[in-house]
Amino acid sequence: MKNQMIKVYKDLMGQNSLWAEKIRLILKESKVTMINLIGSPGCGKTSLLEKMTTLFPGKRDFAVLEGDVETTHDAERLNALGVPVSQLLTSGACHLEAKMVYHALIDLPLPSLKLVIVENVGNLVCPAEFDIGEHAKVAVLSVTEGEDKPVKYPLLFREAKAVVLTKIDLIPHLSFNKDACLNYIKQVNGTVPVFEISSLSGDGVHSLVEWIYSL
Amino acid sequence: MHEFSICTNIVESVIAEYEKIEPGPVRLLKVRVVVGKLHQIVPETLLSAYEVLTKGTIAENSQMEIEFVDVCCQCNKCLWEGEIDYPFFICKECGSGDIALIHGKELYLKNLEVEYDETG
Ligand SMILES: Nc1nc2c(ncn2[C@@H]2O[C@H](COP(=O)(O)OP(=O)(O)OP(=O)(O)O)[C@@H](O)[C@H]2O)c(=O)[nH]1
Ligand SMILES: [Mg+2]
Ligand SMILES: [Zn+2]
Repeated sequence: MKNQMIKVYKDLMGQNSLWAEKIRLILKESKVTMINLIGSPGCGKTSLLEKMTTLFPGKRDFAVLEGDVETTHDAERLNALGVPVSQLLTSGACHLEAKMVYHALIDLPLPSLKLVIVENVGNLVCPAEFDIGEHAKVAVLSVTEGEDKPVKYPLLFREAKAVVLTKIDLIPHLSFNKDACLNYIKQVNGTVPVFEISSLSGDGVHSLVEWIYSL
Repeated sequence: MHEFSICTNIVESVIAEYEKIEPGPVRLLKVRVVVGKLHQIVPETLLSAYEVLTKGTIAENSQMEIEFVDVCCQCNKCLWEGEIDYPFFICKECGSGDIALIHGKELYLKNLEVEYDETG
């Protein structure tokens, strides 16, 4: 018996990368920006989208793709506000992959849109691993989760083009140390902008929206 | 649990690459996968995913070996290059946080070890 080593060097994200590339092409052709919102379950992703909608009642140039494991609750919340929204159900999977996003994207009325926001499945680990052809991953972290999440989940915070710190209205009720948190973010990603927001009061939502539309 | 999705790609790639080998071997013994440490992959989960997902395929009973790559960066300020104290993306020379990744995001199938029949 003789054994032999066969060299391969094959990218293991191959299939996902192909779909992500297709998405980038469509976005480019239709001049649409796509944002990938990633954060823990309950960190306030849908609430932020709701607030964006109510703060800018005239803005009807964005659509939302809602990624969830189960239920259409989040899509219903946005649909109630008149936002074009599609629900992507992963039935168990902890993240969205490019193929699924592609099919949802081509069903949107792209010519009338400038922006598509994808709310990924609530999870700090898995969604960060998958390129869905977005222009920017945005990490969403709420003040109730603890300061050290950026160093515990470095990939997401490293990949993020912006970090959104949510629920800042709750800070007076918590022992959350904001400076320590900002410092952890900086240690993982020294140049990333941080937006501090409250979807309850609307604080900070304006500058975040401005940043998104400037991409 | 993204290890299972990633492993689905691994198994598909392994089978496709194995079938391309000329002349055809009798058995697949080992596959070597390179994983940058920036990927939050739990090796045990990936290995058990491999065992489950290869059942009933030509890759069944083959071994997967994971080779990890350290996270290395280059400083945009002073051009220092080297391994960082992951997860701290900070230049070890000048302390700048403005640094670019050079290694640590690898994720690829490196090689397959196959067995040939001696008479073949
Ligand atoms: N006080 C306060 N509560 C908030 C804020 N944003 C969200 N919440 C609350 O946090 C809870 C979860 O908010 P969601 O917007 O559903 O969170 P999500 O990230 O979309 O959750 P999943 O999609 O399930 O991962 C709700 O009870 C919200 O009312 C905020 O800025 N301030
Ligand atoms: Mg939600
Ligand atoms: Zn330096």
